[in-house]
Amino acid sequence: MHKVVTVDMEKDILAENRRLADENRALLEEHDIRAFDFLGAIGSGKTLIIEKLVDHLKSKGKESAAIAGDVSGDDDYQRLVAHGIPAANISTGKECHLDAHLVDHALEDLPLDKIDYLFIENVGNLVCPVDFPLGSHVRVVVISVTEGDDMVRKHPAIFAFSDVIVINKIDLAEAMQVDPRILERDARRINPGAKIVKMDARHGNGLDDLISALGL
Amino acid sequence: MHEFSVMSQIIEGLLEESKKWSAVKVEEVFLDLGDFTMLGEEQLKFSYEILSKDTILQGSTLTINHVKGTIECDCGFKGEMSPSEDSPHRIVPILECPKCRGPARIISGRECTIKNLRLVVPDV
Ligand SMILES: Nc1nc2c(ncn2[C@@H]2O[C@H](COP(=O)(O)OP(=O)(O)O)[C@@H](O)[C@H]2O)c(=O)[nH]1
Ligand SMILES: [Mg+2]
Ligand SMILES: [Zn+2]
Repeated sequence: MHKVVTVDMEKDILAENRRLADENRALLEEHDIRAFDFLGAIGSGKTLIIEKLVDHLKSKGKESAAIAGDVSGDDDYQRLVAHGIPAANISTGKECHLDAHLVDHALEDLPLDKIDYLFIENVGNLVCPVDFPLGSHVRVVVISVTEGDDMVRKHPAIFAFSDVIVINKIDLAEAMQVDPRILERDARRINPGAKIVKMDARHGNGLDDLISALGL
Repeated sequence: MHEFSVMSQIIEGLLEESKKWSAVKVEEVFLDLGDFTMLGEEQLKFSYEILSKDTILQGSTLTINHVKGTIECDCGFKGEMSPSEDSPHRIVPILECPKCRGPARIISGRECTIKNLRLVVPDV
């Protein structure tokens, strides 16, 4: 004979990733590394901004490393390596986000004893990475004015879960007829605790603001 | 969309638990889903149907209970955040405290938890 029973599980599926993220953070701290992860749509300027920060740190005698996440290919990885830093490439294949487990493996390939800062570029997706922290200390979301002035309202969650919000390509604002202040106002409301930086990464304007927002 | 990979993990957990109890069939699964997650109910249910095929989960019901997103602030505020003017029908995490406009913290709404399941087990 059979009977029906109710069994309690209380298992949070997203908690396993959070646990691994905490482990990554502990490992980074053991090596005195401060880590930043960059989110944002494809083409918003994430790689270019990381390149600028790496050069800035190098001029101050600090060593960086990078993890480049991409659905396929290694273009970003090649761009970063060209700046003379150790880097790891993660091709996620069909996955729409990096997760703490993938980052854990990438960390095995980096000379943790030799670096001061780590930059992680997430896959260009504004939805999925939100549920998967990686273990970085600061999460940065990069948007550009070319994505339109309703961009923040359309993807609010990513702004709520980031520490620094970069509004990039302000050199193109006039041509695009987009007012960066609208993006700034929307972002401020969703996340009043976040630091907001307006910049033009191509010409280096606003880079100093970002450097100080990140404490570099 | 990451519902499919999240659901694969859920199914794995469910099959493991059912095995522990030597279940012959699963009747119903209860899942708590936070309003602040980026997981869609329809996509989760669709993934469940596909991934439960040819397992003892096939034909069982997935019941999803939505957990409200709540926030708290240093000023003493604790509760649901204010609805968004732009999209009053959509759940948007707005961390501006509705009382003092300062930055608030999330206290619930980010979970995706298997609460419990109803199993048919041998009566011995
Ligand atoms: N005009 C302008 N172009 C930029 C700016 N930032 C990045 N770009 C360009 O936008 C393109 C995409 O940048 P990339 O860093 O690859 O974006 P990612 O996909 O977010 O990593 C490249 O051609 C960059 O040179 C900016 O502030 N102004
Ligand atoms: Mg890139
Ligand atoms: Zn308050």
